[in-house]
Amino acid sequence: MAKKKQKQIITKPSSRRPDANPTTANQRTYTIPDYRLEKPSFTIRQVRKADGVRYEVSGDFNGTVPPIRESRYLNRQQHLEIYRWMLLNRNMETALENLYKQGKVVGGVYFGLGQEACSCASAYALKKEDWLGPMIRNQGSTLVRGFSPRDIMMQYMAKAGSPTRGRDASSHFGDIQDRNVVSPISTLGDLIPVLAGVALGARLQGRNIAVMTYIGDGGQSTGVTYEGLNFAAVQNLGLVLFVENNLWAYSTPADMQFRVKDLAERAIAYGIPGVIVDGTDACQVYDAAHEACERARRGEGPTLIEAKMMRMKGHAIHDAAEYVPKPLFEYWRKRDSIARFENYLLNVKKWISPTENRELIAGVDQQLEADREFAVASPMPEPESAAGGVYCENGCHQIKPKYATPRVKARPAARVKYTEAAVHLK
Amino acid sequence: MPQLTYLEAIRQGIWEEMEREPAVFCLGEDIGIYGGAFKVTDGFIDRFGPERVVDTPIAESAIVGAAFGASLTGMRPVAEFQFMDFIGCAFNQIVNMVAKAHYRWGAPAPLVIRGPSGGNVHGGPFHSQNPEMWFVHAPGLKVVCPASAYDAKGLMKAAIRDDNPVIFFEHKYLYRRIKEDVPAEDYIVPLGKARVAREGRDLSVITYAAMVHTALEAAEVLSQEGIELEVLDLRTIAPLDREAIAHTVRKTNKVIVLHEHSRTGGIAGEIASLINEDAFDDLDSPIVRITAQDSPVPFSPPQEEYFLPKASDVVREARRLKAY
Repeated sequence: MAKKKQKQIITKPSSRRPDANPTTANQRTYTIPDYRLEKPSFTIRQVRKADGVRYEVSGDFNGTVPPIRESRYLNRQQHLEIYRWMLLNRNMETALENLYKQGKVVGGVYFGLGQEACSCASAYALKKEDWLGPMIRNQGSTLVRGFSPRDIMMQYMAKAGSPTRGRDASSHFGDIQDRNVVSPISTLGDLIPVLAGVALGARLQGRNIAVMTYIGDGGQSTGVTYEGLNFAAVQNLGLVLFVENNLWAYSTPADMQFRVKDLAERAIAYGIPGVIVDGTDACQVYDAAHEACERARRGEGPTLIEAKMMRMKGHAIHDAAEYVPKPLFEYWRKRDSIARFENYLLNVKKWISPTENRELIAGVDQQLEADREFAVASPMPEPESAAGGVYCENGCHQIKPKYATPRVKARPAARVKYTEAAVHLK
Repeated sequence: MPQLTYLEAIRQGIWEEMEREPAVFCLGEDIGIYGGAFKVTDGFIDRFGPERVVDTPIAESAIVGAAFGASLTGMRPVAEFQFMDFIGCAFNQIVNMVAKAHYRWGAPAPLVIRGPSGGNVHGGPFHSQNPEMWFVHAPGLKVVCPASAYDAKGLMKAAIRDDNPVIFFEHKYLYRRIKEDVPAEDYIVPLGKARVAREGRDLSVITYAAMVHTALEAAEVLSQEGIELEVLDLRTIAPLDREAIAHTVRKTNKVIVLHEHSRTGGIAGEIASLINEDAFDDLDSPIVRITAQDSPVPFSPPQEEYFLPKASDVVREARRLKAY
């Protein structure tokens, strides 16, 4: 075998770049505000056991349950409204689960159990002219945005009266007229550039609005997440991106999706603010969302908010989440978003009496029962209603700028030269 | 009437629509100060400002996603792809987000995705493709492929005014090769309507884009031999002009379908099926396909020439069909 001639690389001292040894002066520092009152840290690994490979969790499970952080913005009435949305969110999903067990649901059911504070308190920070792009677990957000439980029930039962008239399922619906909700699709991250584009469209019409969407610890792995958030950042668009870190992407733990400690650190790479909140604390979620929305409306660009919590069910109803180590469920059950918020309102703030609370819950259940009855009794679509509507035609929509006619500044017509074109392709 | 190249006609079409309608704006890579890789948007940023001529990161999914989002607020975005070969990067946004929006949840998406496609320019496998069939198979999209400068302008204006997502395939071989009279006044060429590019009695060549010129070249040769080709330029391949296809079959009774994209799953198969359904009894011979081979577009000029359909292929097949 021929002996390879080793090339010797000599680095002359003079060829070293002057900043080869970083000094503290050119070291960059970034801060990621973390509003949590407790910072759980678990590691989930794949471990070979006698019965096969299983997930094993390590970490401290003994911490005391944190209190709700005092909101800097919400008044009593707003607390109670968010609390009611959270109850409606959870109890609606219980109703959906029952409808599924009764065989009335077509397909599966997706839950936001454990994430109600994140969905409801975030969407609550939006104004009417703002936009929302919910993900599959943000059914609570769509309620806050003005859809009713019966809309969502009819989606799951594929009824003619569902927002998509039977054409799509679950949270896959939207409304560009009144509620400013963009329908999600099943693939993850795709809403991010779309919501950025909504903000771009509004800005061309002279309005800085807030546009909010969500991504998970799993979905943030997609390329379009990067593309969308980076686009929003360079264009300085008012995107509020909630990264819902619920620890599980279907059956894959967050530790197998990314290497950074906190997903909020990603914000540094986009050059935008990033904050961390406890996703089970409605006040923290609201305050962060409110500040991000205000930034958006001031034209100051996007914000990334990481909300930490745990998905308290499987990916969908078929998934019993047997792969999740039991201590994690026990730990997060004690940190239930609704139980803690209820305790805060009842016992800490005393903003609601036990009687009023019972009445409020009864009112929610009454509404859900009425909606359930309506949705169950409503008809399935006619088979022929599958036809048509592929194209927008025959004046089915009047398309015009939503906010205002874009302002157009007249400038002199310009030079035209084609010399630099890619004319080598000829 | 001013003489314009195919490229200038496209440019003028977009320009006039931006002058006419404040909701129209452009976004894409290098389209601003640089004026686009092929200079289609040269001078736009000076005239319309950086607000309406948005230079984007190299992020095709973001470009399409943002265009769709803006269209939801009633804007009419025109998104440039530097090469249509790169449209694969935005495939999910186009076929799952945009194309399905109106059917699923009643959201119209009045946007145009445009850019250069096609070969015969020695661009190699990633600068020469004709990926239009990827989108013909995605219900909800319209797919436009102009062959002339007149059509390029009129179809572009119609695409921008259309309330649906339109994928507009410009043929880069034609950009500066063809020049013709284009009216200065406002006109549109409706989407979904084919045109007879040359009348003939003996057999029909159904084609579009650069291949229209290949067919016309063959028609000249064949005319000397007394064979008169009719050339049907589809202009839009989704939706197809079914009536015009049946009409030319009824007239000539013999058909060649000619396209630049590869053979299997090409538009020729769809057109043959439409003819079977609409005009089978009018056929006097089998339908012939002339297409590129089922391979990527090769780089080296002799290989690319082998790959692409040529006028001589049309002449040969036309002679064979005439004698059938």
